[in-house]
Amino acid sequence: MTIVEEHVFPVGREELWAVLHDAQQMAKWIPGCERLEEIAPDRYAATLKVGVASIKGSYTGVVEILDKHFPDHYTLAVEGRATPGFVKGTAKLELSAMSDGRTKLVVNGDAQVGGLIASVGQRFLAGIARQMTQQLLKNIEKEVLEVAR
Amino acid sequence: MKPAPFEYFAPRTVPEALALLQEHGDDAKILAGGQSLVPMMNFRLVRPKVLVDINHVEGLSYIRESDGRLLIGAMTRHRDVERSALVERLNGLLFNSVRYIGHGAIRARGTVGGSIVHADPTAELPLMLAALDGEVRVIGPAGARTIKWDEFFLTYFTTSIESSEICEEVVIPVLPRDASWGFEEFTHRQGDFAIVGVAAVVQVDAARRCTAARLAVAGVGPTPVRIQAAEQFLAGQSLTPPVLAEAASLVSGAVQPESDLHASGAFRRDLAGTMAVRALRGAVRRLEQQERS
Amino acid sequence: MTMRIPPKVPVAMTVNGQTREGHVEPRKLLVDFLREDLGLTGTHVGCEHGVCGACTILVNGDPARSCLMFAVQANGAELRTVEGLSQEHGKLTPLQEAFREHFGVQCGFCTPGFLMTASDLLANGKTDTEEAVREGLSGHICRCTGYQGIVEAVHAAAEKARNP
Repeated sequence: MTIVEEHVFPVGREELWAVLHDAQQMAKWIPGCERLEEIAPDRYAATLKVGVASIKGSYTGVVEILDKHFPDHYTLAVEGRATPGFVKGTAKLELSAMSDGRTKLVVNGDAQVGGLIASVGQRFLAGIARQMTQQLLKNIEKEVLEVAR
Repeated sequence: MKPAPFEYFAPRTVPEALALLQEHGDDAKILAGGQSLVPMMNFRLVRPKVLVDINHVEGLSYIRESDGRLLIGAMTRHRDVERSALVERLNGLLFNSVRYIGHGAIRARGTVGGSIVHADPTAELPLMLAALDGEVRVIGPAGARTIKWDEFFLTYFTTSIESSEICEEVVIPVLPRDASWGFEEFTHRQGDFAIVGVAAVVQVDAARRCTAARLAVAGVGPTPVRIQAAEQFLAGQSLTPPVLAEAASLVSGAVQPESDLHASGAFRRDLAGTMAVRALRGAVRRLEQQERS
Repeated sequence: MTMRIPPKVPVAMTVNGQTREGHVEPRKLLVDFLREDLGLTGTHVGCEHGVCGACTILVNGDPARSCLMFAVQANGAELRTVEGLSQEHGKLTPLQEAFREHFGVQCGFCTPGFLMTASDLLANGKTDTEEAVREGLSGHICRCTGYQGIVEAVHAAAEKARNP
């Protein structure tokens, strides 16, 4: 499924880039992130506990940062597996400078969800993915504001 | 697959049930009708360590009228509502909607409270609460509180009930005497969850002009929604075909549904408008029948 | 990871008029209890999530998906399974006769579930038209017959009960 979301951040592109690429901060803004460990440059082993209501799964997998073009855009690749299913996706994150010094971040992603969670949750997958992406962007904003202080 | 092991308790009173929830916290899950929970347990999508079976708790199964409202105990089975002469008389919309819930065997066990707390965005009872301005009464360690439907349903399968609380009762206003209703649900098969469902309630004056309207839609978002633009438009109008068509386009314009394997967002948006027209037409037909009789 | 398996609990219920007892883990599904512990294999397991209807039995007179109940929940209840439809061994009830007559059975996997729902429908539901019967039988999947024979069988049984 396709995920397209955008958010405006109250800082410049360089500051936003710094927050997005700081491994220690990443663990704070990725929803449900219980563990994030650098296993190679720009490659992280992660454990994410995500889900809806009672259906939460612990997904272990890899988060990779690719195609870095500071400070314009980069690509994030995520792959995770849990008992109820698996998730695989890539997203291009584009940072554009706005005239007032703020930054617009556009997330353009493609995700595949498979396994039991995908068949049982089929009716709500797109909506839940949208909500999770929006939560992610809100978390990043919170982190950006804290760093700015 | 079979469910993961759990400890099982069958309390006989609400305080006993609440005490168990307090003791076991997030490890515990309430078992009511089981028609939504047990499938998830059978697939191991949820693995509660403790199951609190409230089927033997006294005093949670009833259908009463009080002060212009229908009070339905949380453990009332859908089938009881389907067969209730009281509900048929006092709220035809609610009465009619229950027979769309799953199939007979599911309605025999499934409960009103369970369905509401499970909060599937495409289920019939949450849509009823939205269309009829219903409320949910829950009880917890701090006592009972009543929550309006739009503060209760938060998002997909998520309500404002706390993990220490139990739903006790669902409150649904009696339909006013001058009100008529319509209900349309689009599914691929009998008994499926709605792809899109619309419930309409209209009140008319002696000249058959709409004085107030309510339009609720399920299947276009994370909770059922009321389409205020259409409701405001309909107030003061005669319910002629062009008026209904305009209301339908207001409904379609107000929603941004997602796409999935069952239906695209565009199709759902179209369905919302079409089902709205049919629901409103159904309400008009019901009015005409009432007048003739 | 060691998991503490809760101890087995005693259960007792009436099945087809007889008292039956057992000792089960709380997580044991009623359908599995009937089949494995009581040897009543007429009730079938199809989907384990309540959509196919093959596990349907009567619990205190009402149809219920036995794959969505735990055996412990049936403690003290009165159950009727397909084995208990006929009061006389070897003799078919009028409903079962109608299934035979109208070719409502092929492989037989869905049949017990259909029979239990149909028996409830005949006693409590609308069966005046084929349409009403079809609606009353919804919630059961059959892979063999195409449903027509089943609908005709139940409708015929209903008609026969009305005009014996």
